[in-house]
Parts: sequence; C-alpha cells; structure tokens
Amino acid sequence: MRLSDLYFLMPLLILVGAATLNMLVVAVKRNHKVIFGITIVAHLVAVFTLLQLNGSSYQIPPFFVMDGWGIFNLGLILLTSLFVTLLSYAYFEQREERKEEYYLLLILATLGACVLVISQHFMALFLGLEILSVALYSLIAYLRTRERSDEAGIKYLILAALSSAFLLFGMALVYAVTGTMSFPEIGVYLQSVSELPLLLLTGFGLMIVGIGFKLGIVPFHMWAPDVYEGAPAPVTAFIATVSKGGMMGLLIRFFSQADAYRYANLMLIFTIIAIASMLAGNLLALRQKNIKRLLAYSSIAHLGYILVAFLAGNRLGVEAVSFYLVAYFITSLGAFGVVALLSDTERDADQLEDYRGLFWRRPATAAVFTAMLLSLAGIPLTAGFVGKFYILASGVNTQQWLLVLMLVLNSVIGLYYYIKVIAAMFAQTKSVQERRKVLHPALSFASGGAMAILGLLLIWIGVYPTSLVQLIRGLLATFMTTF
Amino acid sequence: MNEIPEVIRTIPLQYYLFFSSTLFVIGIIGVLTRRNAIIIFMCIELMLNAVNLLLTAFSAYRSDANGQVFVFFIMAVAAAEVCVGLAIIVMIYRNLRSTDINILSNLKW
Amino acid sequence: METTATTHLPSDYLPILIQFAAALGFVIFAIVVTHLIGPKRHSKVKDAAWECGVESVGNARTPVSYKYFMTAILFVIFDVEVIFLYPWAVNFRGLGMEGFIQMIVFMTMLMLGFYYVIKKGILKWE
Repeated sequence: MRLSDLYFLMPLLILVGAATLNMLVVAVKRNHKVIFGITIVAHLVAVFTLLQLNGSSYQIPPFFVMDGWGIFNLGLILLTSLFVTLLSYAYFEQREERKEEYYLLLILATLGACVLVISQHFMALFLGLEILSVALYSLIAYLRTRERSDEAGIKYLILAALSSAFLLFGMALVYAVTGTMSFPEIGVYLQSVSELPLLLLTGFGLMIVGIGFKLGIVPFHMWAPDVYEGAPAPVTAFIATVSKGGMMGLLIRFFSQADAYRYANLMLIFTIIAIASMLAGNLLALRQKNIKRLLAYSSIAHLGYILVAFLAGNRLGVEAVSFYLVAYFITSLGAFGVVALLSDTERDADQLEDYRGLFWRRPATAAVFTAMLLSLAGIPLTAGFVGKFYILASGVNTQQWLLVLMLVLNSVIGLYYYIKVIAAMFAQTKSVQERRKVLHPALSFASGGAMAILGLLLIWIGVYPTSLVQLIRGLLATFMTTF
Repeated sequence: MNEIPEVIRTIPLQYYLFFSSTLFVIGIIGVLTRRNAIIIFMCIELMLNAVNLLLTAFSAYRSDANGQVFVFFIMAVAAAEVCVGLAIIVMIYRNLRSTDINILSNLKW
Repeated sequence: METTATTHLPSDYLPILIQFAAALGFVIFAIVVTHLIGPKRHSKVKDAAWECGVESVGNARTPVSYKYFMTAILFVIFDVEVIFLYPWAVNFRGLGMEGFIQMIVFMTMLMLGFYYVIKKGILKWE
C-alpha cells in the first residue's frame, strides 16, 4: 500500500467516508436535509478529486487500475448518481417512510459501480458487483408499504443471487484453467494457447450469464420490466444507468485486457445476444401501456445497440460505446426524472393515462419528456441521434452488415412506441383529472433544476457533439494502446 | 502428519469438479422448482458453496492462495446477501402472511 | 517432522492437559459462581423448562416475533466478518504494523455499523 494509491483511490474513499458519515448522522438524529446535503457534497468532492487525476494509467496491484477508461466511467457514474440524488429529494420528501437510509444505500451502490469499473481482478469484480447488488436489493424494496416494491425486490434478489452464482462458477473454471484471476494475466495465458480449452469456454459462457443479467440483455432480461415497475422511480433511473453502465465498463475492460475479441465463438454469442435484445426489447415495448415497463423494454433494446458498438472491438467501437453511454444516461435520467416528478404520494405515474394531455397541464415537463423520448428514438438534434450514428459508423467500419441492418430496422420499430407516448402527451383531454398537489414548489427546485440541466445537455450534445468526442478521445488515449 | 493441501491433492481434481458441478446443478434445480423463498435461498447458498469447494480445490492443486482468499470474500458476501434477503422475506411475510413466491404475481407483462 | 512418534514423551502433552484443565476449570468456575452470586427469582415463567419468552407447550407452528429474526440476521452478519480476522491473526507477525492498521480500520467500520444498530434500537427487546 503506497500513499499515492490512496490519492488515486480518493473518489472511492470519499464515498466510503460519506456512507459512514451518513450512517452516524442517521444514528444520532434523522434529518432529511442534512443527509441530502452530505450526499450532494460527497459527490461533488469525489468528482473534484477525480478531476485532479490525469489520464495516465496507474496500477494498484493486484485489484485496480486507474486509466482513462476508468476515469471516464467513474466520472459518468458519479455525475449520474449526483443527478439521481437531486431527483430523489422531492420524491422521497412527499413520502411517509424513513427517507434517510436511502441516501446511504445510494452511495454504497455508487461505490460498488465505481469499484466495478476500475477492477482488473476477479475478486475486485465480484466485490464491486456485490456491493452494487446488495445495495440495490434494499433500494428496490425501499418503499415497503407498496406491495409491488417488495415483490420486485425479492425477484431481483433471487435472480441476481442466482446470476452471481453462475458468474462465480465461471470464474472458478477460468481460474482452474489459467491459474490466475487478474485480467492481464488471463490475457497472457490466452496468448499462449491457440484455441480455447473446453473448460475455459464453459467458464466464459457461465460468466456471460452473470454479466448479461446485470446488463439486462436477452435472454437474461426477464427481471427488467418487473423491477423497473416495482422500484421507486429514482431507483429505476439508477438501475437503468449506473448499474448497467458499470457492467458495460467492466465488460469492455475485460475484453480489451484479456484480448478476448479474437475468439469467433465468443463474438458469435454476443452477436446473437445483441440481435435478440434489440428485437425483443422493441417488439415487447410495442404493446406496453405502462411507461416504466415501456422504458424497461426500451433499455433492453438500447443495451443491444451498445453491444453492436462493443462487437466492433476496436477503438472506434469503444468511442461509440462511451458516447452512447453518455447520451443514454442523460436520456434515461431525464425520462425517469419526469416519472419521479409526476408521481404522487400513492403511486408512481407509470400509466400512459397519466400522461394524456400533459402538455396542456405542465408544458415544461412535457417538453423535457418529449426531448428525452425523441433522443431515445434517435431523432436528429438530440444526443441519442449522434450516439446512434456513431454506433452505425463503428458497425459499418468493421463490416458487420447484419448488425447494422438490425439496428436500423429496430430504430424504425422503436420510433412507433416513443411517438405513441408523445402523441398522448399532446392529446386534448376534456376531463383534466386534477392531480393532488402536495408538494411545496421549493421542494421540487432540485428536481426541476436537474431536469433543466439534463434537457440542455441533451440538446447541446446533439447539436455540438465535438467537445464530448474530444474529451472521450483524450481519455481513451491511454486505454488500449493495442488497437 | 500431512499438510491440508496435500490431503486435498490425494483425490483427483476431476472428482472435485464433478462433485461441485453436481452440487451446483442441484442448487439450480432447487431454485427453479421450489416455491418457498427461504428454501430458494438455501439452494442459492448451496450453489455458492459448490463454487467455494471448487475454488479451494483448485487453489490447493495450484498452491496459490488467491482461490482461498476468494472463498472468504464469497462467504462474507453471501452472508450479507442472505441478510438482506431474509429482511425482504420478513417484510413480505408481514404484508402477505406467507413466504410462498407464487402469491407474488402482481407484476406481469 | 522426521522424528515423529518415537521421540514424543508423555510430558510433551502437558500443555494440552493444562489447556484442557483451564477450559474445564473455567466452565466449572462460571457455573458455580453464577449459581452462588446470581439473583434468584421464582415465578411460573422463570421455572419453566425452556425459558425464552415462547410457550413451550402447544402448537409449534405459531408465528414467532420478528425480533428473533432481526437478532439472527445481525448475528449472521457480525459472525461472518470474523473470518477475516483468522488469516490476519495467523499472519500477525508477517503483516506487521500495516496489517494491524488495516485491521483496525476494518473493525472500526464494523463497530460503527454496530453503533448504528444499537442506536436504531434493533436489539431492544421491549
């Protein structure tokens, strides 16, 4: 343990400190505002310490590596978590339940995702994954008086535990064959063999089950709609972004460090998964009347799109993944943020009916939601369009015509259900059902501000993507010099 | 008196592999067929312990401590997982007076 | 290890005997002393064969208080963390001061969690 290790791990240590501090403050005296403040400050300080690190690759053997890819993902995760926190205040303030532990669990989940994206060792991977998962179990079931909440919690818990058992068994097999658990050393071993031994291939296959579950891709997607519907709206936003993005970051790190792109059979598995995710996600979303479930299926499809860029397996592909992750995070946060804003004390605003004529009641909220849906659909002038274009470019660049074709086809299918929601928002309704106004306007200031920033970011990246591309290129320069 | 890794190595490695694969599959079947949440948890624990056994065996065969350290982590994490799981089950029991997961079918399509 | 069995004298087993005697002695001491200095109250509940707050005769399938559950859950957490102490204790010399500091940090975190548990009143029975 060197002192400079602590310096490079500072963002994570700050999260640990904030979680402990929150716990102590809750133990002494409950105060929603104080806990909220600590959480926000902790995130800001963590981002600040992250900015101090340069993009050079720094090894913290054997568990972690701090390189450009890690810093990019850490920044993305911390900022996303910050936005989730901002959205949570108004949402939980209007509920009876104890609100303070929520922030504690949120910080821990963020910490887990942070550990995940900088890990280069199976143990660090597993610990990060489980810190994330265990915090998520409680977050999903947080509103315990809601009967759907605990059902979603137990479903996620059983399936996540099952999938991590698969992941572990896969890791054990990989360890058996290669005799090591660190990604670069597995890469060294793979260099020495001409083709994958059967046991190793089985190990990778079992690991894909565990990773695929977290990413929520077909055929491991069954939990997504149920959990999205049952979880509180800010938690849903967190699952859709941080949890999936963290795993994606890890997947790319593993594949590039172990140089697993060379194996046609592994790539074939991911190609099938990508196509199935895109198709299943979009087709199942068509019939949805529930906004949260609709967004769940849509996120399955979006992870399929990201896999297309991942399969390109070169620098352009990783750039496309990074860009798309940013666009997708902003969009998901915005969409679930609107759901959180419109929710009342009884339930979340998840029915399509809740949005009918929304434009005439709350024009600003409806405008943000429209922008987010258009970005999800990939309409020009939004971040989603540029992201999708980037992915198409990486697919064309590596001549994966089938994947590119499926991507275009699915974008067209996707357009239908996004437009359906937008049409509902602009529909004229005779009987405007008056929603219960329980919130003091000052309470939703944080949420409103966060939504405005997200909307502006979305348009800004859509119109002027160059600066983000430059940033990503700069950070990725130290990552994957092999390409 | 032999060292413990030597004792472990007196049994061929394949046997450990078959044994823990069998335990693992029993666990999977249990999770898929049983309907009581607590028994499902026991089955998941069985799967995790199959992995632990495998890791210990490989670790002894390779004379590499990594596998055994990993077993510690898995045990600690499994305990944390079970605690949260049991807490959620208690919550469900208080709401519904049952731990049968078939009752939980509000969320569909 | 080459000079096994043959060179072992009966006196080599003396530490084990002392250990055994100490353990037995402590048990006897504890039992006798608690009987002598412990307060004695007699009531119907106190004199029951199995006194733990649950009716010992009757239907065994009655739901029990969830407080047992909470205690059990906490026991599982805090019990399992102890496994990290074993490797550290075995290699105490090798890990030296750095290992000691790390273990103190670990235990502090654990104790802070315990403080939270006590403050939340989860271990309060009433």
